[in-house]
Order: sequence, then structure tokens, then C-alpha cells
Amino acid sequence: MAQPRISAYLPPDIDPTKAPLAFGRRALPKLNEELQSPELLTQQRALMALCDVVHDPEKVYQAIALGFLDNLKTLLVHHDQTVRQKTTEVLSVMVLHSIGRQGLIRSGVISALTGLLDDPVDICRKNTHQIFDMMAKLPEGAGGVLRAGLIPPLVLKLKMELDEIQELIFDTLSNCLRVEVSEALEAGAVTVLKEKLSHPSTTIRSKAAWVLLEISSHAEGKIAVCKEGVIPVLVSLLEDPQPEVQVNATGALMFAAVTPQGRSSAMVAEAIPPLLKLVAEETSKARLNAIKTLTLLAELPEGRQTLLDHRDTFQRCLDDPSEAVQRAAQIAITVIEWKP
Amino acid sequence: PSTPEVQKQKKAQKKSLAKKLTEEQIRPGTPEPVEGRVHVHVQTELYLEEISDRIIEVDGECQTDEFLDRPPTPLFIPAKTGKDVATQIEEGELFDFDIEVKPILEVLVGKTVEQALLEVMEEEELAQLWSHQRAFAELRNAEFAELQRLEEQDRRIREEKERRRLEHLEKLRKQKETAEKVAARAFAQRYLADLIPSVFNNLYDSGFFYDPIERDIETEFLPWLMSEVEETLQKKVLGRMMLDSLIRMVVEKRLDEFSHPPPPDQTEEPDATGEEDAAPQVSGEADAADQPVAETEETDQPVAEE
Repeated sequence: MAQPRISAYLPPDIDPTKAPLAFGRRALPKLNEELQSPELLTQQRALMALCDVVHDPEKVYQAIALGFLDNLKTLLVHHDQTVRQKTTEVLSVMVLHSIGRQGLIRSGVISALTGLLDDPVDICRKNTHQIFDMMAKLPEGAGGVLRAGLIPPLVLKLKMELDEIQELIFDTLSNCLRVEVSEALEAGAVTVLKEKLSHPSTTIRSKAAWVLLEISSHAEGKIAVCKEGVIPVLVSLLEDPQPEVQVNATGALMFAAVTPQGRSSAMVAEAIPPLLKLVAEETSKARLNAIKTLTLLAELPEGRQTLLDHRDTFQRCLDDPSEAVQRAAQIAITVIEWKP
Repeated sequence: PSTPEVQKQKKAQKKSLAKKLTEEQIRPGTPEPVEGRVHVHVQTELYLEEISDRIIEVDGECQTDEFLDRPPTPLFIPAKTGKDVATQIEEGELFDFDIEVKPILEVLVGKTVEQALLEVMEEEELAQLWSHQRAFAELRNAEFAELQRLEEQDRRIREEKERRRLEHLEKLRKQKETAEKVAARAFAQRYLADLIPSVFNNLYDSGFFYDPIERDIETEFLPWLMSEVEETLQKKVLGRMMLDSLIRMVVEKRLDEFSHPPPPDQTEEPDATGEEDAAPQVSGEADAADQPVAETEETDQPVAEE
């Protein structure tokens, strides 16, 4: 009898793990229905197809308009790990598009994702953190993350997660803490970050220093940083061989030295010689931060005395190609030569 | 149902309808005809019409035969015309594969390479964007730190100024206080300078400093003197009153005596004795009264002299 299937063999370039896509506009609604089917295999195949489809921005737009996010939210707590993994992957690709981010914020997927932080499967957790990271780059996303009360769990996770995931958490935290810092301080973020500053991996050290920078740009953060005695550790990091670590450590010191206690503890920790070395290097990325930190330290009388001998270093900085460095050097010279 | 039957039914229906109509028209209108007579429609118009309700109908039928299958088309082989010609394509005459395939290959390879380049460029652009963002973030942080430093400086300077201002105010206040104190003290001193003499004067005037003997005399002697004087005066007054009453009595009695006739002798003697008793008594009293009167007169005079 005649059948629509011509041959017993499937065509050569069909992926049996993916659901076949209907034509044109019917593709996504059909996938939506398949996602809600009670059969596990259908759901998995639909998710695989969705993963590929969602790289196209127009399809993302259509998907969000159709209300895919509610279905995906229910699938996040599915018992099968493939379903969860693929759902998080779909969400992480969606979140790369702006419309996806806004849709996620509106439908409150962030709070649904908090449950996945303790998922036993690594990939799910990694995707979840990728989603948080991408969301936190947006101001409303950072606000959403803060409102979902994610900071204390994230700080806890820092202590025990894998390295890759830790990097993602650092990025998320640095973007969120730029907005508000009190929750993180309550969760004891400064202590955790202080430990991470001595981690063997470069990226982790540099990212931890970056997060400390963001923390100490707020007033409460500065107080906490001084109290926990992070400044000596930061000073020791100034001599780190890696330039990214140096840049971030100098930046964190710069913010921490604004308060008088920070300044005095920096002087005690003898921060001036390594900072001068950083300024003297022509190609150092940390030049700007180092000049600024030295400016701050020069407001103390002892600092001014020490730096009066090194004025020529700053004079050489005036020839730097970057305009910001020139300006900073100018300000530094003014502060050093100031007489009360 | 076949058409003749249907047509017959229709005809029957029409007939019945026509009958009904005609019957309905006739009933209300004209009454029943009399026996032996029949109603007949008569046309009374000018021009007579031929009335024909019934259309002349003729039934006719026709039926097609069943379709027969179309017979198969006869084989038509057109007659051969023209000449038979044959060609043979040698290798390399139609097209040269290597040359022809070049543009196709170029397109294919070009598209692939283009796509690959696009992807690489995208990645580079992304990396550039990230580095740009990093640079901006650094600049922003540096500016932010500068801002905070200036804020801190400003705060320190302001606090310093505030403290100095408060100190200055305090100093002024203290100065003013001490000046007031000094002025008050000078004034008080001057005021109190002649306090002591005036106090003493007042006291002296109000009699606090007294000679004890004088005081003594004043407080004890004089009241006693005054009371004694009072007593004496009272006695004198009393004597004078007594004298006055005596005199009055005597005068009244003498008035009675002189106004009444002289009474009998018996009664005169006791009266006389009585009178005499009374008279010496009276004279005794009068003498007694005279003496204190004399005394009082004496004392009166010295008192009046005083």
C-alpha cells in the first residue's frame, strides 16, 4: 500500500534525536505542544530541536511571544537530567539575545533557577550560572538577581564549586555588587574572597580581585575590607607575575585607600614601593590604577615625604599615550607638592 | 423518483391548489345557485378575453445512453521525415571539466571562506568589545576613585573648617563671658564700695546702735515713770471728781433746803445731827477732798510746768 515513507531507511542527514521541525510559522507552536506532552522521549526531542532553533534571534522573539518561557520554567524541575540540561542550555542561548533577557526578567525565570543551584549535574549548574552571568550584565538583570536573593547562596557556592563555575560566579557577583553590596557583606563575602586571592589559578585570582574592587567602591565595603585585613594580601598581589591580577589588585587598593583607615593600613603594609614599580613600567596596564593609588597615599604626610623623592617617575608618566594616565599623573604631582 | 411521476404530482398539486383558490373565491362571494341553474362566469368588459387558467402542458421524456469507455487512442506514429543524423561527443569537446568546475569551486570555497572569515571577525569584534568594555570599566573606576578621593578630601576639609569654626565660636564666647564677668565685678565693687557706710548709716538711723544706759532708761525707767504719773493723774482726777460730786451734792442739798420750808425741830435735830454728822462728814470729806485737791492742784501745777 502507498505510504508517505518511501524507504525503510531514514534520509542521511536527519538527526534521530531531534524532533522534526514543521514548516515556517508552524515550527515553534508545534514544538510548544510537544514540550507539554507526557512522553519523555517527545519532550527530549523537542528540546534538542529547540536548542538549535533558538540561535536565530527571530525565533527567540517568536518563542517568547508564544509563551515558551512558562513551559520551560515547569521543565526546569523535571526529574530527568537530560531535560533539565537541555532546558538550561536553551535558556542560556535565549539569554544571549536582548529580547530573551527581557522576557526572562518579566516571567520571573530567575527565581525558578535558584532551585537549580544545587543540582547534582555539573552541566545544569554551569548553564544556570551562565544565565545568571549574562543577566547580571544588564542593570535590570542585576536588579532581578539581587531581588531574587541570590547573593548569599552564590557566596556560599564560591567555597565549594568547580573552578569554571567559580569564574562565572565571580563575574555575576562583580556585576551585581556594583549596584548593592550590603547583602554580600552580610554573607561574609570578603572573607571568602580573601581566601580566593591566594588561589593558584590566575583567572580566579584576578576575578576575585575584581570583585573586591567592586565591593570597595561602596562605603560599607571599604569599611569591611579594612576590618578584614585584606589590604596586606592585596599589597602582596601587587608583585604577582600576571598583569591582570596586578591591574585588579591595584584597582581594589585604589578604592580601599580612599578612607583614612584604608590609607593608614596601606602605608603600614608598605604599599608604596611595589606601586612605584608598577608606575615606572611603561607598558603596565596597572599604571592608571597605580598612579591613582599613589595619589591617595600622598595625602598622608608620610606618604608625601616618601613620594617627593620619586617625582621624576610621575614626570615620565606625563608622556604616556593614554590621556587618562597623563591627567592622573598631573593630579598626582599636584597632590604631592601641596603644602598645607 | 423519476421525472414523470414528479410531474404528475406537481400537476395534481396545482389542480388542488387551483380548486382551493376557486372554491375560496366563490364561497364568500355569491350564494349557491338555485336548483336547476348553474352559475357561469360572464365577462362584462368591453373587450372579451379568452380565459385560460390551465396552461397547455405536454410531457416529453428523453434519456441518454450510458457512457461507454473511451477507446484507447490509436497508436499514432508520425511518418518519419527528415534525415537521420548522428553526433558523437568526444572528450574535451563539450566542456573542459577542470576549467568549468573552477567558478563553481571558487564560489563554494569562497562562500565557505567568507563564512569562516565572518565568524572569525565576529569573534575578534567580540574580543574587541570586551577589551573596550574593560578599558572603559578601568577608566570609570579610576574616575570613581578620583571622585571618592576628592569627596574624602572635601569632607576632611569641611570637618576641619567646622571644628575650627566651633573652636573660634567657643573662644569668642569665653572671651565675652570673661569680659562680662570683669565688668560685673568692677561694677559690683563700685556699688558695694559705699555699701558699708550706708549700711552703718541706716542702722544708726534706725537705732541699732544705742547707748545701753540710755536704752535702759528709756525702756524701763520712763514707762514706769509714765505709769506712775498716770496713776497720780488718775488719783487727781478721781479727787477732782469726788470734789465735784461733793460740791454737787452740797449744792443740791442746799438747793433743796432753801426751796423747801424748814422742817419740824424733832426732825431737825436728827437732821441737824444728821446734817452735822453729814456736815462734818461732808466737811471731813470736803477736807479730805480739799487736801487731795490741793495736792492735785499742786501736782497739777508742777505737771503743767513740766
